[in-house]
Amino acid sequence: MSTTIDTNGEARPERHQIMSGRITRSTSDRFVAGLAGGIAARLGIPSPYVRAAFATLTLAGGFGVLCYVVGWIVTPDEAQYGSMIEAEHPPTSGRRLGLGLGFVGGLVFLEAAGLWFGSVVWPSALFFFGAALVWDRSSRERRERLAQFAKPPDDGERRSRSQVFVGAALMGVGVVVVLASLESFQSLGPVAIAILLTATGFMLLFGPWIYGLFADLGEERRARIRSEERADMAAHLHDSVLQTLAMIQRTDDPQRMVTLARAQERDLRTWLYEPEADAGDGSVAEEFQAAASKVESDFDVPIDVVVVGDRAIADHERPIVAAAAEAMANAAQHSGASSVSVYVECSDGVVDAWISDQGSGFDESAVPDDRKGIAESIRARVRRAGGEARIDATPGVGTEVHLRSEPR
Amino acid sequence: MTTIYLVDDHELFLSGVKAELSERFTIAGSSTDVDDAVDRIRAAKPDVVLVDVHMPGGGGLSVVANVIETHPDIRFLALSVSDAPEDVIAMIRAGARGYVTKSIDPNALADAIVRVASGDAVFSPKLAGFVLDAFSDALPVEADPDLDQLTPREREVLRQIARGYAYKQVAQRLSISVKTVETHVSSVLRKLQLSNRHELARWASERRIV
Repeated sequence: MSTTIDTNGEARPERHQIMSGRITRSTSDRFVAGLAGGIAARLGIPSPYVRAAFATLTLAGGFGVLCYVVGWIVTPDEAQYGSMIEAEHPPTSGRRLGLGLGFVGGLVFLEAAGLWFGSVVWPSALFFFGAALVWDRSSRERRERLAQFAKPPDDGERRSRSQVFVGAALMGVGVVVVLASLESFQSLGPVAIAILLTATGFMLLFGPWIYGLFADLGEERRARIRSEERADMAAHLHDSVLQTLAMIQRTDDPQRMVTLARAQERDLRTWLYEPEADAGDGSVAEEFQAAASKVESDFDVPIDVVVVGDRAIADHERPIVAAAAEAMANAAQHSGASSVSVYVECSDGVVDAWISDQGSGFDESAVPDDRKGIAESIRARVRRAGGEARIDATPGVGTEVHLRSEPR
Repeated sequence: MTTIYLVDDHELFLSGVKAELSERFTIAGSSTDVDDAVDRIRAAKPDVVLVDVHMPGGGGLSVVANVIETHPDIRFLALSVSDAPEDVIAMIRAGARGYVTKSIDPNALADAIVRVASGDAVFSPKLAGFVLDAFSDALPVEADPDLDQLTPREREVLRQIARGYAYKQVAQRLSISVKTVETHVSSVLRKLQLSNRHELARWASERRIV
């Protein structure tokens, strides 16, 4: 998240593109060809784990070497392809779990497929990943972060030293038992004990740090979501509310001010209360609201829209909206009323719309023939769509236009 | 003269409304927070309380609920910038006799206060639309038909209000007396407050797809 300052000194937050799609071979993080570094950057996990995965797969029938070579061939070098944006999101715990399970699943599959060098694979996998964790932990940035978030609970130094000792001892025992059981192979018992011991040692050694790491990542993620929401809101307020306020300050015409304020209010309301308004196929209410906003801003007359039974709009109902917009424009332009009311009722097959004002009204028979507004834009348009239009105007009292779509 | 009490956490808005209404009403006091409001309204016993919906400390909803518990004859008119359905419906269900948005013009606000003071309900076009919407679905099986259904006449009155007509105009257009219009609106309000249909709550929450 960065903030650029424009010439007026106003902060304008921007949103970032988070991740690009391609895996490239890393130039900065490479042992052989940089493939593991590139994959790690793309997945957002530390590269030692990827290396450990390759190493384990190599023991499993040499599969890791094959994968690496194929990967080397099909991925471009970062230097040629252009620097990849590093994945900013640390993976969620769900994603970590997914990656881990996927990997274990792959191993089990290989075992089932017979590409296997014997029972040495599982303990080795444990060992490679343990080593990866140690390696990863020793990188400076991680150490700082962990120091901040994953301090061992109390009297840290001594306790963690005894933990290291006990953990290392247990791991050692585990390894010895594994090696012993490799020779004999007779029973599953020693292997299970070995794995249990190794795992216990492992957890004692690294448990607090792993826990801290998760807490740290969760906290970071929450903070990022918060700051993104704040930036989103700031950007929206900047683009809409501040602009409108600026326009209002420069306007002398009170009517214009009211219109600007209302248009802004409508916009803000939509944004605050209907955040997931779907684009594309609008609902009946959205269509009428949009038509009303346009007329309102064109003629500076407030238009109140009330919609009952909102639903998705059908194509043959769109001419009703267009005719209603024409009726609203007529009311706003000619009636002299201070506001126009639009009431829409949707049922399963029909849309009914009433556009009423309490303005001057008019005598329809006195409208000259060359004025096409009512005849063409309202009556004929609605008739073509199979609907009905009824105009009820009384001079001095007001006008009400009732539009009804063709029943389906 | 009708006494009114104002509750709003925006000082600026409070003073504006006071200035607009002081000629026509006796202003018994005003509060900017919920606890203060509840105590002082109980002491002042005004005819009508104008109450904002969104305030820190429980909002207008808890003011209405707390005061009505001990003083059922004090009447409330909700006044809010929000016309989100769940706010409107919640306030009415808590016992407010009307709901108007803050963009209402001062004369219409004064009329609304007089109407509420005389025991009637005040429905803005938006509120009428919400009610029509909420009561439009087919009846649930276990519903109480007296409460969960609008009569055709009530429906017609609400429609006219939703189209922006004042009570007097509604009366003219339907060839009934203003008193009859008021009776219909009050009975709709009562149904809205007493009806226990689940749909009402579900409808309100569905409107706001968060």
